[in-house]
Amino acid sequence: MFDKILIANRGEIALRVLRACKELGIATVAVHSTADADAMHVRLADESVCIGPPSARDSYLNIPALLAACEITGADAVHPGYGFLSENARFAEILEEHNIHFIGPRPAHIRLMGDKIEAKRTAKRLGIPVVPGSEGGVGSDQEALSIARDIGFPVLIKAAAGGGGRGMKVAASADELASALATARAEAKAAFGDDTVYLEKYLTRPRHIEIQVLGDGRGRAIHLGERDCSLQRRHQKVWEESPSPALNAAARSVIGETVAKAMRELEYLGVGTVEFLYEDGIFSFIEMNTRIQVEHPVTEEITDIDLILEQIRIAAGGELDFQQGDIRFHGHAIECRINAENPKTFRPSPGKIVHYHPPGGLGVRVDSAVYHGYTIPPYYDSLVGKLIVHGKTRAEALMRLKRALDEFVIDGIETTVPLFQALVREKEIIDGDYHIHWLEEYLARVT
Amino acid sequence: MAGEPEAKKPAKGQSKPASTKADESSDMAKPKSAIDHDLIRELAKLLEETGLTEIEFERNGERVRVARRAKRAAGPATAASASSAAQVAADDGPIDHTGNPGLVTSPMVGTAYLGAEPGARAYVEIGSRVRAGETLLIVEAMKTMNQIPAPRAGTVTQILIEDGQPVEFGEPLMIVE
Repeated sequence: MFDKILIANRGEIALRVLRACKELGIATVAVHSTADADAMHVRLADESVCIGPPSARDSYLNIPALLAACEITGADAVHPGYGFLSENARFAEILEEHNIHFIGPRPAHIRLMGDKIEAKRTAKRLGIPVVPGSEGGVGSDQEALSIARDIGFPVLIKAAAGGGGRGMKVAASADELASALATARAEAKAAFGDDTVYLEKYLTRPRHIEIQVLGDGRGRAIHLGERDCSLQRRHQKVWEESPSPALNAAARSVIGETVAKAMRELEYLGVGTVEFLYEDGIFSFIEMNTRIQVEHPVTEEITDIDLILEQIRIAAGGELDFQQGDIRFHGHAIECRINAENPKTFRPSPGKIVHYHPPGGLGVRVDSAVYHGYTIPPYYDSLVGKLIVHGKTRAEALMRLKRALDEFVIDGIETTVPLFQALVREKEIIDGDYHIHWLEEYLARVT
Repeated sequence: MAGEPEAKKPAKGQSKPASTKADESSDMAKPKSAIDHDLIRELAKLLEETGLTEIEFERNGERVRVARRAKRAAGPATAASASSAAQVAADDGPIDHTGNPGLVTSPMVGTAYLGAEPGARAYVEIGSRVRAGETLLIVEAMKTMNQIPAPRAGTVTQILIEDGQPVEFGEPLMIVE
């Protein structure tokens, strides 16, 4: 087992990782920018190292500074959290060259799934159903048109180097295709340094359903059920729940086993999430994330499995403790991502939290690094925290969520709590009857 | 912020057996009570005066420990783990140098060395006059030596780190006035 883990991240996930380390008796090193010197996880860590000024590029993304911090503290492993360098294969390789363990998948798999075209090819090869689309990147506009006609309009143009909802453009008809392609390429080049794009059929009202997997890198892998993350704004997930209101046990078992089997074949190491669009009973692979996800608590609540702990254990050479048959799903969990934003305009609202009271009680969990008197810095994402509730049924979870939201006090900044208070009272949310465009359609209606 | 020296900083404030001062002050002829208030008061006073965080005193098999309540400070905690007994020259407690225009801080994470190599002479000493751009010290990271230059001409008035000390970004290194 590791002696000392350096947490290469910030905010709520850094605190989450720190908690797992403490429970495992592993020493912790918190690295932080000057803007995060007062962060809760920095205060709680055994050691801390300031690695740079506020900008992420000079701090949390600064590989030499992270390596130097490992060197002076003697850390033998790094947990990259999510975002930042968590899916940077080169970072993982550099750490390995310095005999520091990267808590995550093998660099080859990070690289494989980071290239969205290769990821799709691999998924197809492993028997995972994919969205109909171009076989690889599209070359000329003529080629694109021909493929688009085959798969049928509307089509989605996606950046091969993109992912996470970024770098996508819709072309509703043949007329729109050429200009949509040009824009998509230009944006992809600017954002990711690579203008390769591929085409996919655009599904009109799918749900976003993703499967959590866990592999020990030696050919054993299991799935931990699904999360329904259909409620999104600008491709950013806002509300996640498990089980999905749209799946029954049989459907879950089929897609879960398909994914687990693929991970066994890949000899996947660590945690990962395979994301699908689900429409009319059909799953279509969109991408795989080779890291822990923001919404992991939802799965933890219904399986009672500590995913960060498992990540660390497996990275340290541990074996998979569970067989698929050992995994039990109980009850229902919902997570709301609360951001420091105006709940109607979504304008960012960084600043000092003058009053803070998080909700509590049975089945209520708040994963947040925020505290009374904390100032949210303007340099990073606007996540204040995640409110996660669990209930024996979805109805109970919704009731608990409503109660918890009404109790939550975060004064001094604007937050999206009112948005969730409204959503939890909306008929279609209560019925579980929504899809990936639902939230934006709702917001257009009410604002 | 608490600002108390604590386990993260080199050596200061670690528990040490009390000095003989406490020995002299206790009166051996006093009736033995369960708690020796005078001893404890004496130790507490010693704590205040010296800026230590903890004093442990043992006599005749009885041991007393007086500790200042150290909070986990959010302030500039360094990464130094177990370290040498050598104390940082000149200060009793962490002095905040941030306002000082002559302050030179570390632009990177690494290990600070006062000379070019182990055993070599230090680049500068207290009182050294330096030109702008002249090397003050080296911060090494992953076998790469990075020379830290004087930002302006002046005199080195304070050296705030020890040779071989791990430093973080923004760590106060020296004062050049």
